[in-house]
Amino acid sequence: MKHIYDDEADIRTKAAIRVMSLFFVGLIIIAATTSPVSTGTKAGERAPALEGKFYNGSGGWTEFNLESYWDSNWKEGDASGQWVALEFMDTDCPYCVRSAEDVSQNAADFDGSNPQWDGAIVNFVASATQLDIQGHDSSRAEIEAFRDKTTGQSCASSDCGSRPGAAHAFPYIDDLDQDNMKKWKVGGTPSYYLIQPDGIIAWSSSENPGEDLRDAILGLVTRESAQTDGA
Amino acid sequence: MVPEMDSNIQLMLYLVPTLIGFFLVLPIGKLLANPLSQTLPYLATERGRLFSGLILTGVAGFAVSIQTLWISSKVSEGGNFCASNTVFSCDDVIGNANYNVDPIFGLPWGGIGATAFCVFLYLAYSSSLEPNSEWVDNYLKLGTALTFGGFFVIALLISYELEMEKICQYCTTAHIANVAAFVGFYRLMKLNDSGEWNEDS
Repeated sequence: MKHIYDDEADIRTKAAIRVMSLFFVGLIIIAATTSPVSTGTKAGERAPALEGKFYNGSGGWTEFNLESYWDSNWKEGDASGQWVALEFMDTDCPYCVRSAEDVSQNAADFDGSNPQWDGAIVNFVASATQLDIQGHDSSRAEIEAFRDKTTGQSCASSDCGSRPGAAHAFPYIDDLDQDNMKKWKVGGTPSYYLIQPDGIIAWSSSENPGEDLRDAILGLVTRESAQTDGA
Repeated sequence: MVPEMDSNIQLMLYLVPTLIGFFLVLPIGKLLANPLSQTLPYLATERGRLFSGLILTGVAGFAVSIQTLWISSKVSEGGNFCASNTVFSCDDVIGNANYNVDPIFGLPWGGIGATAFCVFLYLAYSSSLEPNSEWVDNYLKLGTALTFGGFFVIALLISYELEMEKICQYCTTAHIANVAAFVGFYRLMKLNDSGEWNEDS
């Protein structure tokens, strides 16, 4: 009986098996030694970069670096790590103007200066954009006026100096070109994100409709009392 | 306790074999291969030198690509591997979420590199095992075309580095490996066409 076989196919199969083995060994090493965290804007994902110049009340507009807030050694339950509450807003958005009072209150309550708050410090950051809506015509001067609550600029058809709440003492990033907003896939303003000290997003307003930022801070940010209770 | 190796010293584990492989696939590779041909007889022929150089750069390119994939995973965890304030900072390049995946499918560049080098390795290794088979000609042409296509990817990645004003030395090693693989496949293809494929030197 004539036996037909293909020596060449065998060589190619042998080569393929060896090379594929090498490939899978590489992947297994990565899988065994790392736990990658994807970058994104949902809870559990690593916060994307925030780029642009920021204004913090003095010194003009300088380069913002969100990464400078992160502590890669932070462990869950460590109250010494500083959290970040990020607000995407538009100085001409009426709801943003109205919520400025809550933001003022939250920033004052959780920034570490409030003796009633026994939790980790929450640093507030605002990224000010200009939505593509008629009448939303913002500028750096308007952002400064909104933050500092000074007169002479119009915020949502009223003088910025008359907006509710106290002047804000936290940085405002210029996102008038909407770069950050698009990168973070923000659907509307105001949008809020609560970010852990290690740069992982803990909560976002878009994923938790009906829950406000204050509740999220009270529920998620590490408290010293919780540590004491657990000890 | 295992002592930590400096990332630039670790890079040498990939860069040195890549450069040796590159040297072997160049016409001057004879200078390196001739003294070794007594102990490594396959280096005595042009075909053997080209296949050896090609397989060496393929393995080194695969390994360095896997390392970049590992670095991107580590950076995503919040760790750092080769962060630096100088222009050479692979963490800044590999860890940049805007640039560390391909713009179409969102696959990490390290994974794409590892897959590509495995394909190059398969083409080179299977051809070296059965150099006189009919399919070798097609494999060498395919290898040449694929590694040439790699130049466009390299150009895109270098444009990212220029934009970031940072250089990823691990990525650069993988790029050198691709260039070496192109030279190897191209010279093998020409040798196969020349009729000197089975000559002794």
